[in-house]
Amino acid sequence: MRNAYSAAKLWFKPFVWLKPLATLSLLATLAACSGGADTEQNADTATTGALSINYIGPAPSSTDVQAFKNEFWVNVVSSSRCGGCHNEGGPASPSFARSDDVNLAYQAALQVVNLSQPDQSRVVTKVAGGHNCWTSSTSACADILTTWVRNWATASGNGGAGTQIQLVAPADKDVGATKTFPASAAGFSTTVYPLLTQYCAGCHTSAAATPQKPYFASADVNEAYSEAHSRINLDTPSLSRLVVRLGEESHNCWSNCANNAATMLAAINTFTGGIPVTQVDPTLVLSKALTMYDGTVASGGNRYETNTIARYFFKEGTGSIAFDTSGVEPATNLTLSGAVAWSGGWGLSVGAGGKAQAIGGAGNQKIGDRLKSSGEYTIEAWIAPANVAQEDANIVSYSGGDTSRNFTLGQHGYQYEAYARSDKTNANGETVLITRAADRDAQASLQHVVLTYDPVAGRKLYVNGNFTGDTDAQGGGSLSNWDDTFAFVLGNEISGTRQWTGLIKFVAIHDRALTLDQIQQNFAAGVGERYFLLFNVSALSGMAQSYVMFEVSQYDNYSYLFNKPTFISLDANAQPGNFQIKGMRIGMNGTEAKVGQAYIPLDVTVSNANYKAGTGQLLSNIGTVIALEKGPDADLFFLTFEQIGTHTRAYTDTTALSAATPIDKAPVSDVGYRMFEEIDATLSKITGVPRTNTTVKATYDLVKQQLPTVESMEGFLSAHQIGIAQLGSSYCSALVADPTLRAAFFPGFNFSNATLGTATERNLIINPLLAKTLSTGLSTQPVSAGVSAELNNLMDDLCPPGGSCAVSRTPIVVKAACTAVMASGVTTIQ
Amino acid sequence: MAADSATGMLRSEFKAGVSKLSHAVLSAVVVTVLAGSWQSPAHAITRDQAKRIHDRLTGTPPSDALLGQMAGLSALEAAKLAIDPTNAESKGFYSVTLKNFATPWTNRDQTVFAPLNDYTATVIGMVRDNVPFNTLLSADLLYTGNATGAPAFAATNNNHYQYLEDNDSDLRTTLVSQSQSALTGIPSAATAGVMTSRAAAQAFFIDGTNRAMFRFTMLNHLCHDMEQVQDTTRPPDRIRQDVSRSPGGDSRLFLNGCIGCHSGMDPMTQSFAYYDFDKTQGRLVYSAGAVQTKYRINIDNFKPGYVTPDDSWDNRWRAGPNRALGFSGSLPGTGTGAKTLGQELGNSNAFAQCQVEKAFKSVCFREPGNSSDRSKVSEIVASFKSSNYSMREVFAETAVYCMGD
Repeated sequence: MRNAYSAAKLWFKPFVWLKPLATLSLLATLAACSGGADTEQNADTATTGALSINYIGPAPSSTDVQAFKNEFWVNVVSSSRCGGCHNEGGPASPSFARSDDVNLAYQAALQVVNLSQPDQSRVVTKVAGGHNCWTSSTSACADILTTWVRNWATASGNGGAGTQIQLVAPADKDVGATKTFPASAAGFSTTVYPLLTQYCAGCHTSAAATPQKPYFASADVNEAYSEAHSRINLDTPSLSRLVVRLGEESHNCWSNCANNAATMLAAINTFTGGIPVTQVDPTLVLSKALTMYDGTVASGGNRYETNTIARYFFKEGTGSIAFDTSGVEPATNLTLSGAVAWSGGWGLSVGAGGKAQAIGGAGNQKIGDRLKSSGEYTIEAWIAPANVAQEDANIVSYSGGDTSRNFTLGQHGYQYEAYARSDKTNANGETVLITRAADRDAQASLQHVVLTYDPVAGRKLYVNGNFTGDTDAQGGGSLSNWDDTFAFVLGNEISGTRQWTGLIKFVAIHDRALTLDQIQQNFAAGVGERYFLLFNVSALSGMAQSYVMFEVSQYDNYSYLFNKPTFISLDANAQPGNFQIKGMRIGMNGTEAKVGQAYIPLDVTVSNANYKAGTGQLLSNIGTVIALEKGPDADLFFLTFEQIGTHTRAYTDTTALSAATPIDKAPVSDVGYRMFEEIDATLSKITGVPRTNTTVKATYDLVKQQLPTVESMEGFLSAHQIGIAQLGSSYCSALVADPTLRAAFFPGFNFSNATLGTATERNLIINPLLAKTLSTGLSTQPVSAGVSAELNNLMDDLCPPGGSCAVSRTPIVVKAACTAVMASGVTTIQ
Repeated sequence: MAADSATGMLRSEFKAGVSKLSHAVLSAVVVTVLAGSWQSPAHAITRDQAKRIHDRLTGTPPSDALLGQMAGLSALEAAKLAIDPTNAESKGFYSVTLKNFATPWTNRDQTVFAPLNDYTATVIGMVRDNVPFNTLLSADLLYTGNATGAPAFAATNNNHYQYLEDNDSDLRTTLVSQSQSALTGIPSAATAGVMTSRAAAQAFFIDGTNRAMFRFTMLNHLCHDMEQVQDTTRPPDRIRQDVSRSPGGDSRLFLNGCIGCHSGMDPMTQSFAYYDFDKTQGRLVYSAGAVQTKYRINIDNFKPGYVTPDDSWDNRWRAGPNRALGFSGSLPGTGTGAKTLGQELGNSNAFAQCQVEKAFKSVCFREPGNSSDRSKVSEIVASFKSSNYSMREVFAETAVYCMGD
């Protein structure tokens, strides 16, 4: 049994050419080439599951009718679907779902299908428009019907013409009125600015201890105003970054985030309330305007889906069910629970506590039955992990609990991992196959991740169309021991203990191990909702029906992706001549977007030589994301130009530069400590002991990182003093131990018989210490007499009562006296 | 009781002695030290002022003879004498002060405990020889030591400089100016001062995407980390494919954060497209005309992103709020390779301001903190430029400003 949506005949090339249509002069055709696999596989409708048909009418009169019956009719004839009305007795016509004669049903169906463009079939568009969808999602019904029509076309050989996308000239719209920032900061200074300076100046000023751009809390109101432009949305104040940051992201709220956001919003409302709505800047060189949905759908048609048994586009956008649109019955629909939200541009956003799980036996059992039957499979997903820190996080799983599963695709930090149960593994599908940590295959960005399994090689992982290179040491095996009572789940384990967070934009299960070519084909097909947007510039370029065309999609909940701007005319006979396009900007809702203007540096000459009818001239192969404001159905886009043809508009840099006076810092001590190496060098210079002295160097290397590393008095710690003392002791020890050095340092002192019992002897020690550490004639150093008295006291303490030491103890006391001076503020303070 | 093995002193005796004297001395000194006013230097300075100038510049106390000599001079003359390389007591300025001034710039951890290396030696040598410091990021220059017994310079290891440090070589006298290209074998046009030194390459060209070289150069030599130059309004067309435009599925992070730095950083980091640090060889490698593979990693993060074709760069921060960095009007703001980028950065006002502020912090033990400080810094910046970017001039003038009453 195959779901015969054969990509063999739907190979779509990422370029376009025109197919002029006589009846639709404003249509151009985006056509595709044939290619791909050589063979097609027919569907085996006998095992499609839920719909059991007992047909007793005339046999199909041709192979095409047979294809119709197998791929389309069998799926719609049920009274719970189209057959309830479009049957032989009415009440609706045409009767393409009649059950008495499949040949008559075929004739009727030809009126409502478009086999060369299945998604444009009347039967599809009717349901997409809300006509009696049998699920709660019209988009799901439309996708499923499209699949059935495509399968029919493929099986009958009519799908070979390839998918054609027709560029449709949009209805011209003018750029609407909007609010723009006044030149003066006066309004801002009395509304928003006071809040910013009161609550945000701790970081968002250039004078802050840790300055954080943008400086919208600058003491200079003009700078603050300029910096705040990109954080205030004049048309929709609630979308202002200043509000969102507080309300939704809890960024440094000063009390209650919701209240703070409301306060900020009120201030911005007051500010914007004083700004009159103005027409778009009349000096701009403008294209016509359009919304994303005014464009031509650009996605779909080129995926390899011959073996797809479950597929999720996540187009629904509302409700709690994600529909399996593979068209293979029974559908394995997913029920959303916990923190799972629909994402713009098609997708599911999975947060903590969220999952999407198939409820009910039939849908889950389908997966087990199909894959056990084929003995091989592929799990395909487009995902964007929320982070690369989550571990043991299940993305796609078919399992019964924490320790039992048929398969699981998961994330482990920067790695993807795969569990696959077979007769060679335990019930948990171990050992796990995990990508090499160093490769960092998992990234927190949108990725196409594929797990294939075949009975010989076992598991293989592919990321963005590339094999990760990780081989399955376990190898393959039989799936005969699979448990088809397990549940299919996304974003978690069914137990809820293997949470994965991020964005899931597409998931499919195939009952074959896809080849590398097939995987790359699906990767190249992309994902999500994409449109060709045609911005009319005919009046500017002088070329008939000319447009700057962008491929646009909703990139995520917060932005659009604008990609591959191309100059193109829908008039196949028109030629551009030779003119310049320079400094192109994307506008939205009456004003140019402030962030993401990737085409400002654009400077391209459009010429006959570079222009090709049908495909136009690519202006840039760069894409950019632009922040979403009101949503894809309301955001009105347009383009502006510094130059297009003879139309020019000069742009000047008007950014205000800071004139704010920095805030004075608190006074600090005017003196400080010597740092580690300065202390070492100072002690060496005073004692004459080289820094390279073995003992000294060993001590220095030992205590180096314990010594002060900043001069600040406020940063001085007791640990620093201990380190200094150790180093001072080491230098003094080396000094006293070296007869030459000590003789030079303490001239006249006889270490052989001195007992330090007399003032004379002591002065021979104390006076050189004072002379070499205290400079002459300084007022900002310790008083010499005071230091001398302290040293005498020290010697008294260290020698026995009476003041005389044993001769053998004398060097020790000298070292102590020396260290007391060397390791003191006398030498370490500067 | 335990005794210190080196001195034979009892620990209790030792501690008692140090504690007593330290307390007494600290009390005597600290009471006089709170900042608040600074006096304009007179023609002849006091011995206290001379002492402080010397201490701050060299990290070591002067001999009585030198102190007397300095006290007889004007403040600026005294400061210049303290760091005059012909003055033997200036060793500390080169071997200690400047070394520790530059060492944190040479590693990612910004630790001052990193060993002497070709980066720090070159900074020291350039200051000593009054080489115009605005060529720090672009010159075909490297300093080596001529100390007897030192292993020869090698592009593949740091042994040469480690020897100089281990043997307390007098960097005042041993450093010798050399052609970097001759020493390392990379083309002269590919040399970019300390950015292409081995130490910088090992720290900032290793692995990654080479953006670290730009970020740390901005941080160390323009005194601006990326948060301070964030400008989301610049065109993002040169941001490479590896930067996710929707990290974790939330493009607000990109549009309000990432883009602010990458839109300016990536077009300039392109200048490093031919450089890498080869960990096997332990050296900087330069692949003329061939973009390093590290510029094309994670290309699927954003397929419509920029694909680096060569080492041409553009300074997008010449417009917008970052033009406050003061890039030179006599330079084009665009070019190819690291050398011209080094010239672009080295001739900016922010570069000059940064060097002065760093010297101020080193000598005055604080950042410029009031209008008087800021005014002085501006004066010294002007003086720095007019003296053909002499860092000795900067240190001397700063020491005079902070020499105390």
